[in-house]
Amino acid sequence: MAPFGMDPAAWTVLRLLIAILGAIFLVFNGALAQIYFERKIQAIIQDRVGPIHTGPWGLLQTFADAIKLLGKEDIRARLTDRWFFLAAPAIVFSPMLASFAVLPFGPGIVGADLNIGLLYLTTLGSMTVLGIVIAGWASNNKYSLIGGLRSAGQLISYEVPQILSLVTVVLVVGSLSLTHIVDAQPGLKINLLILPLAFVTYFIAGLAETNRNPFDLPEAESELVAGFLTEYSGMRWGLFFVAEYGEVTVVSAIVTALWFGGWHGPFTDVHPVLGPLLGVLWFTAKTYFFVLVFMWIRATLPRLRIDQLMSLCWKLLIPVTLTNLLVTAALILAFPQSHIPIAVANWAMLALVIAAVPALQRRRLAALRHRLETRRPAAFISAERPG
Amino acid sequence: MSFDIIQTALFALLTIGVIGGAAGVVLINRITAAALLMAFTFLCMAGMFVLLGAETIAAFQVLIYVGAITVLILYGVMFTPQRERPYALFFQKQTPLAALVVVPIAIAVALLAFTFRDGGKAAAGGGDLPALATSVFRDFAFPFEVASVLLLAAMVGAIVLVRRDDE
Repeated sequence: MAPFGMDPAAWTVLRLLIAILGAIFLVFNGALAQIYFERKIQAIIQDRVGPIHTGPWGLLQTFADAIKLLGKEDIRARLTDRWFFLAAPAIVFSPMLASFAVLPFGPGIVGADLNIGLLYLTTLGSMTVLGIVIAGWASNNKYSLIGGLRSAGQLISYEVPQILSLVTVVLVVGSLSLTHIVDAQPGLKINLLILPLAFVTYFIAGLAETNRNPFDLPEAESELVAGFLTEYSGMRWGLFFVAEYGEVTVVSAIVTALWFGGWHGPFTDVHPVLGPLLGVLWFTAKTYFFVLVFMWIRATLPRLRIDQLMSLCWKLLIPVTLTNLLVTAALILAFPQSHIPIAVANWAMLALVIAAVPALQRRRLAALRHRLETRRPAAFISAERPG
Repeated sequence: MSFDIIQTALFALLTIGVIGGAAGVVLINRITAAALLMAFTFLCMAGMFVLLGAETIAAFQVLIYVGAITVLILYGVMFTPQRERPYALFFQKQTPLAALVVVPIAIAVALLAFTFRDGGKAAAGGGDLPALATSVFRDFAFPFEVASVLLLAAMVGAIVLVRRDDE
């Protein structure tokens, strides 16, 4: 396998180095590009021009900002917990970097074709919580601590619908390997047509998992200064941000691979060398489309309250994903040859959920209003008249 | 340079990580640092599972122990009022009792480790997944379900215990 007659063991080490450097290159440049897109898209939506002065169309603005961040003094408040404070950005960053190992960029272009690729990705996603909780704890700051704890509650809760949505796709395809999942959806036979409800629930849970709007409560600046980021500055703060953009990329890549056919697209089989490269282009284009959807949502939707966030997860997403999993599994057992019954059931359930949400919301609001009018809770009264 | 040397070197590093981390958990006075070192120990053990070809178990190890249990312990630490502890936990009076419990277990584990020879190796890249699934969901399905029902009962009991009466 080793090229140029190299020692296979040396090639293993060298390949690992190349892969890690390639992933770091991708992550940092991806973050720079995404910050630029984010500014431009928000500017367009808010009827502004965004960055224009540095470089053509303001393209070099994020590079200038990155150099500024690198040059900043590394400040650490005296009463912070030294080692935890220093370790937290690394604990958030490294799992995100490791996720890139299993992403199927093109046919045969994947770092490690793990049989359990999807499980590996969810595992790394769960490690981020630890870093954020430690960041909040080590900062020795009330806002940071609340941000860190909120984040832990949010991430652990939303992991449940996220994993349940992924499992439905795994059931339909019959494999945890990302390359097998991509191979199973050639041409227009993408999984979105079979499992639209799982896609919607995964996308919502993915928004929450990456701390993006409208679920960015751990760093809600209107209530918590900057949440767990409050005490961080310079490149440590930058590392948190690079990690967040990297996670957005990973979630978009998972969506692309699982529901939108991954690297499949027109003209990928025209040439033995150019075809796979074109596949990489398709994969990147689809992934960045979802990255842009993330930004569009950020510019459009207001932030939720923490109790709304939790009730959305536990009262809507988890029951819906559990039902979806049960129905999908039953239909796979009943009709092992055809995906059409699953598709029909899934589209029907999606329509049902979308139709039921406004009615449920009205009922909930009416109940809340009724309770407030008839029986005021003790907490409200004591807050108004202390003593 | 060959793969054997790399594997042995990795195993040595992971062993140092596991033993050092575990010793740190017991010896260090600060409970948050102990929790973090425990996560580190679990990570090193996951690395050992990968070396043995059991990637799935390694993934579950990280998912459950690093991602969930450690966060739970950190939560517990943060919400527990901490009194000042002037002495290291190591020098507490439990040491003789702990030694009494640890020595027989250590002897048993050592005997097991040195008599166990037939270590079947799973195919690399998550090849242990079918074997694991078969044993959990077919061979040991009943104990697995019993354990899950037991956990559910414990959870319901905990919720009943902590629920306030005024609602």
